[in-house]
Amino acid sequence: MKDTNALSSRKKKTTVADIISLILLFLLTFIFVFPFYWIVTGAFKDQKIAVQLPPQWFPTDPTLTSFVTLFKNPALQWLWNSVFIALATMVLVCLTAALAGYVLAKKRFYGQALIFSMFIIAMALPKQVVLVPLVRMINALGFHNTMAAVILPAVGWPFGIFLMKQFSETIPGELLEAAKIDGCGELKTFFNIVIPIIKPGIAALAIFTFITAWNDYFMQLIMLNTRAKLTLPLGIATLQAEFATNYGVLMAGAALAAVPIVTVFIAFQKYFTQGITMGAVKG
Amino acid sequence: MNKQKLYKIRMRETLVSYAFLAPALLFFVIFVVYPMISGVYTSLFNYTIRKFDFIGVDNYIRLVSDPIFKKSLINTLVIVLGSVPIVVLFALFVGLTIYEKHSAIRSFFRCVFYLPVVTGTVAVTVVWKWIYDPINGILNYLLQSAHIINEPIMWLGDKRFAIWAIIIILLTTSVGQPIILYVAALGNIDQSLTEAAEVDGANRWQVFKNIKWPGLMPTTLYIVVITTINSFQCFSLIQLLTSGGPNYSTSTIMYLVYEKAFKLGQFGYANSMGVILAVIIGIISFLQFKFLGNDVEY
Amino acid sequence: MKKRALSLMLVMAMTAGMLAGCGTKDAADTKEDAGKEETAKEEVKEDDTDLEAEITWWNYPNFAAVDETAGKYEQGIIEAFNEKYPNIKVNIEMIDFASGPEKVTNAIQGGTVCDVLFDAPGRIIQYGKDGVLADLDDMFTEEFVADVDNEKLINACYVGDNAWMYPISSAPFLMAFNKTQLEEFGLLDMINLEGDRSWTVDQYQALIKALKEKGANGAVMFCVSQGGDQGTRAMLANLSGTPITNDDLTEYTINSDAAVEALQMIVDNVKDGYMLNGSAQDGTASIEEFVSGRSSNAILFSPGVYNNNKAKMEFEPVFLPFPTPEGVDPALEYLIDGFCVFDNGDENKIAASKLLIDFICNDAEWGPKNVVQTGTFPVRQSFGNLYEGDENMTYLASLTKYYSTYYNTIDGFAEMRTYWFPMLQAVLSGEDVKTALDGFVEQANQSIANAQ
Repeated sequence: MKDTNALSSRKKKTTVADIISLILLFLLTFIFVFPFYWIVTGAFKDQKIAVQLPPQWFPTDPTLTSFVTLFKNPALQWLWNSVFIALATMVLVCLTAALAGYVLAKKRFYGQALIFSMFIIAMALPKQVVLVPLVRMINALGFHNTMAAVILPAVGWPFGIFLMKQFSETIPGELLEAAKIDGCGELKTFFNIVIPIIKPGIAALAIFTFITAWNDYFMQLIMLNTRAKLTLPLGIATLQAEFATNYGVLMAGAALAAVPIVTVFIAFQKYFTQGITMGAVKG
Repeated sequence: MNKQKLYKIRMRETLVSYAFLAPALLFFVIFVVYPMISGVYTSLFNYTIRKFDFIGVDNYIRLVSDPIFKKSLINTLVIVLGSVPIVVLFALFVGLTIYEKHSAIRSFFRCVFYLPVVTGTVAVTVVWKWIYDPINGILNYLLQSAHIINEPIMWLGDKRFAIWAIIIILLTTSVGQPIILYVAALGNIDQSLTEAAEVDGANRWQVFKNIKWPGLMPTTLYIVVITTINSFQCFSLIQLLTSGGPNYSTSTIMYLVYEKAFKLGQFGYANSMGVILAVIIGIISFLQFKFLGNDVEY
Repeated sequence: MKKRALSLMLVMAMTAGMLAGCGTKDAADTKEDAGKEETAKEEVKEDDTDLEAEITWWNYPNFAAVDETAGKYEQGIIEAFNEKYPNIKVNIEMIDFASGPEKVTNAIQGGTVCDVLFDAPGRIIQYGKDGVLADLDDMFTEEFVADVDNEKLINACYVGDNAWMYPISSAPFLMAFNKTQLEEFGLLDMINLEGDRSWTVDQYQALIKALKEKGANGAVMFCVSQGGDQGTRAMLANLSGTPITNDDLTEYTINSDAAVEALQMIVDNVKDGYMLNGSAQDGTASIEEFVSGRSSNAILFSPGVYNNNKAKMEFEPVFLPFPTPEGVDPALEYLIDGFCVFDNGDENKIAASKLLIDFICNDAEWGPKNVVQTGTFPVRQSFGNLYEGDENMTYLASLTKYYSTYYNTIDGFAEMRTYWFPMLQAVLSGEDVKTALDGFVEQANQSIANAQ
């Protein structure tokens, strides 16, 4: 939709202000790209070179020593834990949020306003607010130091529900009416009519949840203790405590955490952008 | 349709709706609502590993006279209220600059500004720690080489800079989404309106103020909401970079709750801080809901 | 039908959640009570070789890592232990000093805490006071106490009549300078290498000035996170000749006029560039600066730290006590390494844990070997000199006479620590030294009261 707009307006003359803005933009680009660039290149530098000043901007003498040290820790296990937690959270959030968002958007029922405002208010609550009772609850359920302790509290994610409600608003009411007249049951309507329509929304929410769960450092920090149970971000933080300024190893860990997810993001960028946009600006 | 039939339909819809809501509500109640209630209740206790004694509102009285809590509260507000306008302006600037460009260019910049988000806060923090490192860090090195400063600056260890150093990182990890949103919203503004205005001799600022900005209002409000949420989640930066220092100048309530609960085992006191934090967030959410509600259509 | 079932499930799950949530507190209480009865019964017997149990051992990096692999050395201990006690399965878990303490607190709350922890009295005594440990009274045999022959050290393991920590080794914290560099600069004669190497504040000031003139980086006055804070306290105590606390551990005394003056000196040293402002660096980073050769000295160094970093150091360090005012003896802080056993409500596990501790500390072969791996000195005199011919270690062993009052067992120790670095950060950023120190002492004294 916006692509055509943009194309038609490219004829506009370029002003000095435009050029300055563009230059500024490229400078900013440097700041935003730099951390990722530094992680990826730093991972292949020797510890001494990684901290030297003036810095070596590109590893002229790439080495795998940092990775060797990294893999003396259960880094692959951490990677797997991160992937599992992110995937499981993603599936559960998408499912529950799609169900909830649909009825909040398309049904009229008693207590609707109350429930919806509850979700909205909770949307901004950081986990620290309920930290101690939440930990107690997790302990009572026997989930302490398991992946479930990180996954399950993320499932009732109000933001996900909000997003799915936004998407479900776009479902034409006539379609639902028609289904009802055809004698479609509620579940059948949901799976056969609602899901196909809000699919792009689910895809967006899926990527969203995946990234959020992957980066949910706080919950991981609180809930996971033992070395084999750590996630990649938590593992990097642990390495940071142990190795202090051994940036080589830290960069190797960071690269292991960042490269897969950045790759996924770039591959699915289009859907992602669409999803974000559609969720916010309805229609 | 008579009243009774209407009621019957409504009841049926209600049952169906709750069935659909049940899975989400189940988790929500167990992991948010119940802990919330329990948190309020246990904040009235002297609650440590050893003790669980009812003390009424003593924890809250202690809060009022706790200078560290006061500092943390102010920092929390500075981070939230400071980063929101910066994020909005920054995203708007980038959005305005790139939205008319070729789609490949837009794609490129969207990726660039979203990169820190997907790289992950912890991974990004590792690099920033090195950038800010007073001795081995690149920032001091560059500034000193350029003779802008003579003495190395403790970016994270100087109370004049520390919180802003944190906010800058927070900024790089939060502008990605607002930029994507602005680019899309700007693309949706009716082109003929701006063109007509230009023909009528309106300058760029007038076009922006009278046509684009009103059209961007709903998006802006949405961005304000998500940035507020995001800013309140700013824990890992502080835990990993400053531990709340120097002298509590980067300590936030979120960090303090963690410290009181898990460093010192003062669970009751930590809960009372959590309750206050929830109240503050509640007020902010309420205001946003009230003022922005009509435009964003929650 | 389905809908009804769903809502029913919801209600049930909610109720279950609430009940479960309420249950934790009670469980913790009963555990506490049970703990008190159980512990006295167990006796460590040498012939318990068929005891069956599975225990978990959490370890800070106290032993130097073998092959840069955390936990590998510990695995070796466990294998040897299992030759003797084949039916006790030991799971080792490495934790770090930065986030480890929180993990332990969290795990105590979560009921997933380990059985055996290798730590130091500061935290262990607190766990003891919190009532979550099994006492180790029976391990303090007459023979052991006589062999240790050091009342201060034994006292550090006790609260009242209960022993909560079984000590294995100890070592003083000192300063260290880059000896190779001092030689290069021709400054070696500015330090005292005779006898106990004690020196005065003036001599110290002269040396760090000379080093600065030669272009060397000073020591990092670190004050971030919490680790290593004892080093900075010891430094201030020595520079000023003022103890941190009174002898009865009822009051903090580190705001004397002399202490204010000494802290002002440190602040000025940072300002003048003789030391580096560490408001953004933690203890590990400051050690890293020293061992990498970038800093000419470190205000916190110990034989254990040296041992852990030896491999990557390309110079020779020299240990020195903290400088003191003319005519005042150094008062060294020291580390005690030791074990505690968490009471997880299973007598078997407690017994097995004690066997493991006994093996690590007292086995004829592994006892001394483990002490050497920590790079510190055995608490048992009978182990003799484990570092024959090592000049550094022979010197360090001679310093026991300067050990100061061990205050890490004071009530509210953990809370006091959270106020110390912020105080340092405040004075390093220009706040009035006297106000800050007075404020610290007031908060610290309050923390004693809070913990009672």
